Amino acid sequence: MIEQLPEGKSIGWMQAPPQWIFTHTVRFMGIVRVVIQDGEGFILIKKGTPLVYYFKHGRIELRGRAALDYFKSHPIIEFNLCKYTPEEFTEALKICNFEERVEGLPPNPDQTPEQDSPFEGDLPASPAPPVSETPPAAEAPPAIPAVSSISPAPMPSPVSQAPAVEAEEEAPELPEESHGEAAEEPVTEEYPELRYPSEGQEVPPAVVLDEPDMKIIGQMKRLNGIVAISVFNDDRNILLMGDVAIEPLLRIARTMLETTRKIDPLLDWGSFVHMTLQIPEGNVIIAPYHENYLCILTTRTINIGHIRRILRDLQQNSNGMTLI
Amino acid sequence: MLKETLNKFLILNGVQAAVVIQENGEIIESMKSAITINKDVQAALSIIMLDSKVTAGQFGNASLSTVFIEFTDYMVILGPLIEEFFLVVIAKSTANIGQITYEMKKNQDAIVAQL
Repeated sequence: MIEQLPEGKSIGWMQAPPQWIFTHTVRFMGIVRVVIQDGEGFILIKKGTPLVYYFKHGRIELRGRAALDYFKSHPIIEFNLCKYTPEEFTEALKICNFEERVEGLPPNPDQTPEQDSPFEGDLPASPAPPVSETPPAAEAPPAIPAVSSISPAPMPSPVSQAPAVEAEEEAPELPEESHGEAAEEPVTEEYPELRYPSEGQEVPPAVVLDEPDMKIIGQMKRLNGIVAISVFNDDRNILLMGDVAIEPLLRIARTMLETTRKIDPLLDWGSFVHMTLQIPEGNVIIAPYHENYLCILTTRTINIGHIRRILRDLQQNSNGMTLI
Repeated sequence: MLKETLNKFLILNGVQAAVVIQENGEIIESMKSAITINKDVQAALSIIMLDSKVTAGQFGNASLSTVFIEFTDYMVILGPLIEEFFLVVIAKSTANIGQITYEMKKNQDAIVAQL
């Protein structure tokens, strides 16, 4: 089914919690292509209303609520936002048989629909089990792992950056740009605090970045030598642009943040602007960003003075847009 | 001799102090201009040195090259010299960070030799 869908106009790849998609697509009409490990899927969204969820891993297909639950079982998913024209969107809905079935879910993904998913199969209690199988039942499908378990890289290696995505004139609720292939889902047992909260656990309030924020971060990411940018706070990573595993980076960023918090009361030098740790492989920079923090991973060759100026501008003019 | 080397930093625009300091905050030598390095500043520098070494170790035991911490009024640049000794430069936020780090690298061997 995925191959039949219109390509759309790619706005960019990014990594973010699934909730981000639902809070940032109010004016978006198109497809959110989701990649989780070897599987891929999509969400068709029309101005903030998700209409179709779908995920396929090998021969296993998850549709409707099951697909949504699977997406939500990951703290961060990798996805590509592709804008559709009205014609493309209509075509996509046709391909998904949307007109013939009432298959959408409520706009609020946390609301559970009264009826079963319009697609075949029962809704799973947990996101991992398959909902439907395309092959005969005799062949046991491989289980979709809820999370991958890669070892945290000691230093996220700088990677070649994907070519810049074309500037998007519209889609104001979306990131203007992000970039190439992102790291494999990196949640491991070593970082349980970064897991997506399961049911019954207290969920930290959602953090929503505004369009100007996304633009600024996207602009920064495009600078030569920027490997990754994360927006984080004490509770979670809010956004990651870059091909790195977030947990090791976040752990380092929080350690640095802790250092600044320890020294801040001792120094009467004004407000904290940034901390940069330089090691042979590159630089890690943390800086306040509104009520959150930026963590920037760069190559060694980057112009620190340039980054300094940008960070200063960001803090002096929180509404500033043209910084770079 | 060490004072002379440290004095080279003070002629750089915006530099307020150049200090050779131990990780525990003990100052070995310093050259200052219109800034006071009191116990609190020493304690803060000690925290930065110790914490940064630990943080750098999280990158697969990478060696620490330089640490910059900037505030709106001042910034501090720390570079490891040898063992537990660091060269610390405190400068106004208007200073040229590239120029300072260049001088730090250029004079590193000389400072180590004078310790």
